[in-house]
Amino acid sequence: MRIYALIFIGILSCNVLVSQNTKQISITVKPLLNNYQLILEKESNNGITITSFKFYLTHFSFTKNGNTVWEENYSYHLIDASNPSILKFDVPEKMSYDEIHFLLGTDSLTNVSGVMGGDLDPTKGMYWAWNSGYINFKLEGKKLKSAFEFHLGGYSQPTVQSIKLASNKDSIIINFDVAEFLNQIDLTKQHKLMSPGIEAQRLSIIAASLFLLNE
Amino acid sequence: MNKSKIIATLCLLAFIGLAMFNPIKNTHVQLSYPKTWPKPNYDFSKNPLTQEGIDLGRKLFYDPILSSDSSISCSNCHLSYTAFTHVDHALSHGVNDSVGTRNSPTLINLAWLTSFMWDGSVNHLDMQALAPITHPAEMNEDINQVIKKLQSTTTYPNMFYKAFGDTKITGEHLFKAISQFELTLVSFNAKYDSVMLKQTKFTAQEESGYNLFKQNCSACHSEPFFTNHQFENNGLMIDSTLNDYGRYNITKNPLDSLKFKVPTLRNIEFSFPYMHDGRFKNLSEVLHHYTKNINQSSSLSQHLTKSIILNSHEKVDLVAFLLTLTDKNFLFNKNNSFPNELFYPPAKE
Repeated sequence: MRIYALIFIGILSCNVLVSQNTKQISITVKPLLNNYQLILEKESNNGITITSFKFYLTHFSFTKNGNTVWEENYSYHLIDASNPSILKFDVPEKMSYDEIHFLLGTDSLTNVSGVMGGDLDPTKGMYWAWNSGYINFKLEGKKLKSAFEFHLGGYSQPTVQSIKLASNKDSIIINFDVAEFLNQIDLTKQHKLMSPGIEAQRLSIIAASLFLLNE
Repeated sequence: MNKSKIIATLCLLAFIGLAMFNPIKNTHVQLSYPKTWPKPNYDFSKNPLTQEGIDLGRKLFYDPILSSDSSISCSNCHLSYTAFTHVDHALSHGVNDSVGTRNSPTLINLAWLTSFMWDGSVNHLDMQALAPITHPAEMNEDINQVIKKLQSTTTYPNMFYKAFGDTKITGEHLFKAISQFELTLVSFNAKYDSVMLKQTKFTAQEESGYNLFKQNCSACHSEPFFTNHQFENNGLMIDSTLNDYGRYNITKNPLDSLKFKVPTLRNIEFSFPYMHDGRFKNLSEVLHHYTKNINQSSSLSQHLTKSIILNSHEKVDLVAFLLTLTDKNFLFNKNNSFPNELFYPPAKE
């Protein structure tokens, strides 16, 4: 009997050992509109209304002096302004870092690997049926009375962007001001983009530059 | 003491068993195909074939529940008896009598394909079904609505559980199931295949046709799949109503203008009408095009720059060879056709 008790305690203690010695780093991704928290369907004082804002942040890793100290497995997060989310990473307790790295969008391997689950499930409305590839960044709304729709993504001409931010904190807030993005586009000339290509790549570079630490 | 020992052992075994093994039992299925064929392009490790998954996929394939008004299933445009294409329809039809812009392709040997649709717009079999389900001129349905409908049935949650160990239906499992059924649509029992295995011989006419085929056609329609999986401009004049530039619509590269994916010729006897827009009703029209009507343009396939010359006897021989690609075992395989038993299970006594 004693031997079974020992085995049982052994299994339990393994579980406890594995679960210990980690800490949590939390990243809050905060969509803003003119410096205020973005509320969907609510018109801002300069006439902008956002109806949908979603994007993929993937492949999170932390580095110190240029060396990777931790990276997340199966790292795919769909950020949706209608459902604000805090990303939580369980990292070793003693880990310290000086940079966070991630991608805006899905990598090309993900785009050719067939159907996937979780945040990559095609039911999330972030996959192009007519031209295989994920929509990496989706922003829809209107300015005064003219509607705009920007779907940036695609696999054939990749729009995925890598982003790095310097920080060493355990709790981080990353802002993205939608107004800053729209300021870079002449909405009277361009109000719709729903296919991969050079223009989608150009706007993706702009979008990637607007993920900023809240300090 | 003894009793408690046994109980403790059983508890431990049950604990380890639960931790280590998937509680659902699947019947693993191995795809069969000739030894001489290359390895499939499809990664089966990400979606292992099981009888439960194939049955589920087969039922979904034949179920109009996937369309917005529950009127159209995949099989409407992909009939098993005609090599899974829409026989006698130049362009495929959708809900509300809408008509698409292309001829529905055959579904044969899909595990070896490298791209899908006439223009290669879909890069993976799993993602292919999303296109017709959501296209307004085809099944015109929202994918979340499909899942809601399936979830509310009495049969599907159970079938998804048997196949994937989860009664909650997801897009991932839906498309994996459809892929599993489609992957089983393998055709390798035509007379041509028996001849290659030296089990039988071509007639003199078929033999002559085979030689003509190798001289004139096989650069694009390469054996054993009868396609090189490439995009080619085969010299068709553009249809000024449809204005379909094919691969160019996807890549926006002028060199891809008027290019379409080279289709397989397996079961060609049954897959009429021919070409991406179904413009040719029979094989003699097809041969007339290749020998007489090639439209010269900058993106014309390099394999067609030299004219193909065939006299009327040679054309007959070539068609005789093409008919040896008919695989009746495939066309009339009961495992591929409407699954009566899945829709109307026999009543329990």
